[in-house]
Amino acid sequence: MSVLSIILLIIFFSIVISYVLVLIQHWQKYRKIQLSAPMYSILALLGRESVVPRKADRLFFELGPALLLIVAMLAIAVIPLSPELVMINLATGALFLNAILAYVLVALIMAGWGPNGGYAMVGGWRFLGQLVAYAMLIVMPITAVAMRAESLLTTNIVTSQVGMWNIFYQPVGFVLFYFASMAMAFLPPFDLANASGELAGGLESEYSGVRLLIFRLGHILLVFTLAAATVTFYLGGWLGPYLPAWLWSAIKIVLVAASMFSIGHFVPRIREAQMMSWCWKIGIPLALFNIFLVGVMVVVFP
Amino acid sequence: MGIELIMSLIFAAALLGVGIYGALSQTNLVMIMMGIELILAAALLNMVAFWKYLHPDNPAGQMYVLIVMTVMALEMAVGFALAIARFRSRGSVEMEEAVELKE
Amino acid sequence: MIISAQLIFITFFGLAAVWFGIVVFRTYSMVRSAIALLFSQTALGALFLTLQAEFLGVLQIMMMATEMSVMAIFMVMFMMDPGGLGKMDMTHQKRLSIIAGIVTFIAAVAVAVYIDWGPITTVNDAPTIQIKALGIELLGRSMLVFETAGITILTAMIAAIAVAIQPKGNINNNHKEPK
Repeated sequence: MSVLSIILLIIFFSIVISYVLVLIQHWQKYRKIQLSAPMYSILALLGRESVVPRKADRLFFELGPALLLIVAMLAIAVIPLSPELVMINLATGALFLNAILAYVLVALIMAGWGPNGGYAMVGGWRFLGQLVAYAMLIVMPITAVAMRAESLLTTNIVTSQVGMWNIFYQPVGFVLFYFASMAMAFLPPFDLANASGELAGGLESEYSGVRLLIFRLGHILLVFTLAAATVTFYLGGWLGPYLPAWLWSAIKIVLVAASMFSIGHFVPRIREAQMMSWCWKIGIPLALFNIFLVGVMVVVFP
Repeated sequence: MGIELIMSLIFAAALLGVGIYGALSQTNLVMIMMGIELILAAALLNMVAFWKYLHPDNPAGQMYVLIVMTVMALEMAVGFALAIARFRSRGSVEMEEAVELKE
Repeated sequence: MIISAQLIFITFFGLAAVWFGIVVFRTYSMVRSAIALLFSQTALGALFLTLQAEFLGVLQIMMMATEMSVMAIFMVMFMMDPGGLGKMDMTHQKRLSIIAGIVTFIAAVAVAVYIDWGPITTVNDAPTIQIKALGIELLGRSMLVFETAGITILTAMIAAIAVAIQPKGNINNNHKEPK
């Protein structure tokens, strides 16, 4: 298949799965499945007036949501949805994913500083504080996964899980990576950035109209990308018995993302001081122990 | 004749010039550190260009770049710790006001 | 002089890196200055990717995003006018620094152009082989360098925390006015 058709197929796949994810979010709020709800909200946001704050830093104001969308789409480029459906099979695929996800922080800082408003700015800097806490908890489990696969190619990481999925081989790493992905995508309970009750919407408070649509689209694509990364690294990617490979990918991604959405309903919002203390005092020693354990297991059980 | 090598070295020289201008002309400690970051980035570009065009089969070149990147991060960390301590004791990090040891 | 694709990309990313570097010191807004430095380092990381040092390029892009964002928050904490609306000029010894910058640029360009660097090889291995060779080199022949770097990181972490931590008695009555 040509590169252009692969890229278009992956974009179509991600749009369809994002639509399903927005349906799941809508079901959580209203307990009804209404298949046209996302389409209505897209049309509503497109039709509304775009309010620009008075003394906004226009460059950052426009660039923040756009950069979030670009980052989410670039990160999908290295994730394999089936053995041929990968846009660029970079030799440092797992590390590239990590590098691009660091730009979510840059996008949110721009979105926080741009509107020149108190709530948005506090939301942006709070996200920076969160990232200092959990950035290591994304890199170290990826290191342990790459140790088992003896390569950084994402396709090799998936094919190394043919015997046993990584969630059973490295459960500690899975738990750390799962919660760190939820924090990276600022989902509840880690949603200090756009806390709806506490910060009047935080980062989303000053955006309206088309820019809010781009911000929310970037957010849902980011959730899709992180769920796809979790599935690739820990849940065996496209591996499965009877169905075609892309269908297994789709089912696993939707299940992981739905679980990420639903955990937030039961836990109160986690404060930044608590999060930093847990991540640095409990999370990083556990991640280092995970690397050590995986190293021993790779040598003893080849 | 290696025109790509010479172009990379010229861009590294430009970054070095901008970095030295910044490090010498700014009064605030944080801005001086940004100038130093640019100087180190220019050195990194030089090293990678030399590795790629003169000895691409020797991974020691890449290893050296890794160590310099590590030292860049460390120098920033210690520099910001100093900035915090200075701000706490004097209330500003302007280097023009740091004249306590002058006769 | 053959204009290869690599030369075009080197020129593009190099010009982007230098231009963002100049914006760092020309703009009045402090956060724009920090984000401009971030994009300058990203252009440098993309330049590393063009020079086929894939691991280094990706590493540079990842590290610089986080470092420069931390620098942005330090600018907001410590500088007088982070939004740049007052248009203050915060430079000193202007002529000396411009002359020093131009003299170093010309000296470095002269060194680059007038020295014969030897035979230029343009063939490298595939990135997967390069990364494996880098890993084996780092943990084999250069193990001592790697360990020393590790100890240096630990020392710097402890030193930074020790310098920046508040003394025990001052936790709640540290309200010094800025001069």
